[in-house]
Amino acid sequence: MAQSQIQAGPPGRAQTKARGARFRNLNDYLFVAPALLYICFTMIYPIASNLRMSVYDVNVSTFLSDTAPFVGLDNYVKIINDPTFQHAMGISFLFTAGSLFFQFTIGFALALLFNRAFPGNGILRALLLLGWMLPTVVSGSIFRWTFDGSMGIINYALQSLGMLDTPRFWLIEPGTALIATIIANIWVGVPFNMILLLPGLQSIPLTLYEAASIDGATRWRSFRHVTLPLMRPVALSVLLLGFIYTFKVFDIVYVMTRGGPVDATTVLPIYVYQLAFSFFRFSDGSTAAILLLLPLSVVAIGYLWLSQREEAAS
Amino acid sequence: MSALTKFRRSRYGWTLLATLIVITYLFPVYWMVATSLKTNAGVYASPPQIIPWPPIFSSYYEAVITNPLTLRSIFNSAVVGIGTMLLTLVLATPAAYALARLQLRGATVIMLLLLITQLLPAIVIATPLFVAFSRIGLINSYPALILADTTFTLPFAVIVLRPFFLSVPRELEAAAKIDGCNQFDAFWQVILPLVRSGLITVAVFAFLMGWGEFLFAMSLTTNEAIQPATAALNKFIGQYGTQWNNLMAVSTTIALPIIIVFASLQRYIVGGLTAGSVKE
Repeated sequence: MAQSQIQAGPPGRAQTKARGARFRNLNDYLFVAPALLYICFTMIYPIASNLRMSVYDVNVSTFLSDTAPFVGLDNYVKIINDPTFQHAMGISFLFTAGSLFFQFTIGFALALLFNRAFPGNGILRALLLLGWMLPTVVSGSIFRWTFDGSMGIINYALQSLGMLDTPRFWLIEPGTALIATIIANIWVGVPFNMILLLPGLQSIPLTLYEAASIDGATRWRSFRHVTLPLMRPVALSVLLLGFIYTFKVFDIVYVMTRGGPVDATTVLPIYVYQLAFSFFRFSDGSTAAILLLLPLSVVAIGYLWLSQREEAAS
Repeated sequence: MSALTKFRRSRYGWTLLATLIVITYLFPVYWMVATSLKTNAGVYASPPQIIPWPPIFSSYYEAVITNPLTLRSIFNSAVVGIGTMLLTLVLATPAAYALARLQLRGATVIMLLLLITQLLPAIVIATPLFVAFSRIGLINSYPALILADTTFTLPFAVIVLRPFFLSVPRELEAAAKIDGCNQFDAFWQVILPLVRSGLITVAVFAFLMGWGEFLFAMSLTTNEAIQPATAALNKFIGQYGTQWNNLMAVSTTIALPIIIVFASLQRYIVGGLTAGSVKE
């Protein structure tokens, strides 16, 4: 897992070495220099560039010439007061909460199942991952088809089971479009949650369960008092990582609904995309992108802090 | 009934449950393939044909084989996927080695930067890259897509590869140096062959991520001659409307490399995604 890999190399050697020796290692930095330069170009430059564009008025007529006027925080005032932005923020949180809750619970249940030894465990577990490996554009187009109002298999199944009287146009009705995209995203995310939770379950010593059963604990009680508390740190980091990955989802929603009907499924990344690439309002797009980063940063700091702490503990 | 039979029966019970779950879970993928093998009449049959028999390949003929745009976009995706794979390997392998072995000052900071990059939303990167690439005339080019896609494959690759390098015994490297290898030769001739399976994992993932990438494909290309298959599929959704068999034929074609790679290199993938815990 990512969180076990942050700390790089045994610490301290560099400090204990003589000052002159440091330059002998200069050659060593050539190994990381290309990757580091690359990161500067694709991570630090974009963030800086977004910040810069967010205080200028860059639009379709000024983006090539670099003559956009400085406008201070006007863009932020405008975007924050834009009802579409506020709506998109709300939709993003709804989408993330709905996806995360079910991805995590179903993923946890599957991890418990696959934590048992049974014939075919390995191959069945690997097959589940296929859904997660598919390009999200492909998954999106599959779900567009299965949720189709006139010929979709989901309507057919629900009508056969008597759970639906008339066909429902899932992706066209504002009330159900978000639910359909959340269901599709849950489908994509379940294997990811399972595969990250499984090592946590496997690391719980069997002796603890034996001790619990000697003490007369039922299955439920040993789950409640052994599994759950010991899974807490792993579960928390999976949830935080899941939040980050869900909050930035663009592909599957865009392919299924384009953010519609009207803006019923316009999550923040789609909102930013439309500002920048449909309306060419680059400054507005950058401003919204920075605002999108705010909740992500808070969660990311929590996640990185947790990872570092786990690393230090192990 | 002996205790042993009981024990085995209960274990097969779990196998049965897991099999049912996997079949249910993978039904949408099956439904994609099944729909792609139907005629228009088959798609609109009620009740739906669960098994398309006999399978008809006319959608593949119409939407893939005789459609130059689809063929071109698949070629473009292959170029972008392979380019992303190569650039990722070239940048990530020495970096992962150095971060595992060479005791650099600031190694922790570098790893942290890589992790943060991995957590960034693609849309935050897309706008600045679009502006920068427009200024230097790189929009609608393979390098633009490869450079953008490598943003997410590079951190993943370093994070996956570093533990592989850590597990190579230090003595081997020392021995190579005693035999007269310099640092670079030791890295190239002694260390790299030992981390082969890590390199395969990274190569496979980088290719698949480049192949399936969507947001950069949409924002950095406007020209159909250069657009990847994911962007082409998105266009077909508008174009084919409700010709679901055609749409599913294109979807299946795009999914095919993943299914093939998955079937043949599965063990590299399962290990890799646990280690990297990412996907865009």
